[in-house]
Amino acid sequence: MDRRDFFKIAGGTILAGTSGVYAIRRLTGSIPGSTVADSPLTGKKWGMVIDLSKCVEDCTACLDACRYENNVAFHQDERWDVHWIRKIRLESKIGTTSTEKSVILLCNHCEKPPCAQVCPVQATYKREDGIVVVDHHRCIGCRYCMIACPYNARYFNFKDKEDWSNTDRPKRSHGVAEACNLCAHRIDLGELPACVEACSNVGEGAIMVGDMNDSGSEVAKIIMAEAVKRLKEDLGTEPKVYYLGL
Amino acid sequence: MEIKFESLDGSSFEYRVMMIIFAFFSVVGLLATWWVIEKGIWVTGMYTRVPWGLQIVMAVYYIGLSAGSLVISGLYGVFGKAEYKPFARIAVYVAMLFLIAGLLSILTDQGRMDRVFVEPFVHFNLQSMFSINPILYIGHILICIVYLWALFCEKKTLTKVIATLAFGWAFCVHSGTGAIFGFGARVLYESPLLPASFVAAAMASGTALMILLIVTLFKITKRHLDDELIIWLGRFLAICVLVVVYFLAVENAYRAYVVELRHAAVYYLFGGIHSLLFWIGLIFIGCIIPMFILFRKKTGKSIRWIVLASSLVIFGVLCERYVIVIPGLTNPPELFPGMEITFSAIQEGFASYTISFLEVLQAVGVFGIIGFLFGLGLKLFKLLPTEARILDPNI
Repeated sequence: MDRRDFFKIAGGTILAGTSGVYAIRRLTGSIPGSTVADSPLTGKKWGMVIDLSKCVEDCTACLDACRYENNVAFHQDERWDVHWIRKIRLESKIGTTSTEKSVILLCNHCEKPPCAQVCPVQATYKREDGIVVVDHHRCIGCRYCMIACPYNARYFNFKDKEDWSNTDRPKRSHGVAEACNLCAHRIDLGELPACVEACSNVGEGAIMVGDMNDSGSEVAKIIMAEAVKRLKEDLGTEPKVYYLGL
Repeated sequence: MEIKFESLDGSSFEYRVMMIIFAFFSVVGLLATWWVIEKGIWVTGMYTRVPWGLQIVMAVYYIGLSAGSLVISGLYGVFGKAEYKPFARIAVYVAMLFLIAGLLSILTDQGRMDRVFVEPFVHFNLQSMFSINPILYIGHILICIVYLWALFCEKKTLTKVIATLAFGWAFCVHSGTGAIFGFGARVLYESPLLPASFVAAAMASGTALMILLIVTLFKITKRHLDDELIIWLGRFLAICVLVVVYFLAVENAYRAYVVELRHAAVYYLFGGIHSLLFWIGLIFIGCIIPMFILFRKKTGKSIRWIVLASSLVIFGVLCERYVIVIPGLTNPPELFPGMEITFSAIQEGFASYTISFLEVLQAVGVFGIIGFLFGLGLKLFKLLPTEARILDPNI
């Protein structure tokens, strides 16, 4: 074998090998952005509408349901509690008159999520259906996503939670970042997120979730027709949580 | 003139005591880190509103010292100032050690240290400054190793090539570190000027560190050191500090001028303990006094005064790192402009942060490890020159 043949064989082997590996990874969907033709996530874009006029001040149904469903670490210490969803009271003043309202805050599942952009291990990523999730088995706990999130919607599991409310869902381990994942496990089964279901069960229906790409969905109709607001729209992150009455 | 290098004998009482102290610090730091791993990061005092603390401050500080030290080695390798050749080896070695210190500080700050050695390389994210920086850091260490080898083997051409590469790389390393903050979403972080001001502070602290180290080492080991060499470094340090002050002035003037940032500017400059560190620690102790010492004819030529000024700069830049990292976190993002949050389950408004004892122990541990490796390097390698004399009397 002369030098020319050697380079031909070596080059061909490398080319075939790398393209084969790439093709396998692409087909199995392990390359971000790659799609599998019959993926149930394709073509959907989940969004949320929160109607603040329906949110009752002392109601904590959504918070409790989320905490139970996802085994969210709640230590009753504001420094280290994790809140995938939380409620605040907001006062707005015009002159001498002031009004107060309850506002529900959670991950905005941004279309351009800064948390996913900065994650050094791609543990935080946006699914094809627009839900921003965290792979807890990959997160190294650097907390850069908490720094990058302009909505203070990301939390860090500073310490272990001993009791484990929902044994159907994984226990949360300390040392990783967390945020609302829109109950992606439920959505994948065709169910509603725990907070939406709980809010609906208490009869308020202040939180709605739906496919924004489906023009017939309630969420899409409200977004198109009503005066909805998103948090810090000027940042260009394109949140997918819309507020009515903010 | 042929410059001879030698290693330390390492049999003196002082050397042994120094090594025992560094080893003790290392053990204390390792125990503190073990405790943090065992219990969770909450034991360090960091919490939801302030998820980065002293370890990140120290990491940025160490990386700056490293980049700055490497610049000093470049005086010989890049700019051909042969009289600074005696310091080149030690500068590169120190640069390598401080980068390791920075990496150790970052490592011990991670929630899942066990994943740090695999995940960032398997799931590399080109869009993240946190992914790009490890490449710069590892490259920096590798360059330092080759650079040291070239210096040890007296390979002139390779030294010049690698020194130029190292010089440029040091700029990239610290610009990259600055970009972690400067390209961020927090009001007090976001600034395209930050990478450049990081480089300026790195050069100031690195030069100050080298002055302190060289003078101390030469004095302890009773070697001849021409004052003029240190005086020139002192002048260089003064200019670096002046550049730091300029960047600080521009950045804060911008924040104070732009209406939407004014609130944050007021908090930064007058909002708490960090403001005291800014004005007293950084501006007064770290910049004004050293500049006064270094620019003044009489004190600027006194080695004692230059060493004092260098110590103050090293302290000042540490304060600078603190006032970059911490106020950026304690200053809250304004989610609802013009409205007030009257109830929340988490701490709203300005947050507070206090350095915990455990964090200090971790930082002491990293310092101990680096100190120990430095001592070991002096004993194992021919890092120290027999003397450092001025070659050109008109310098």
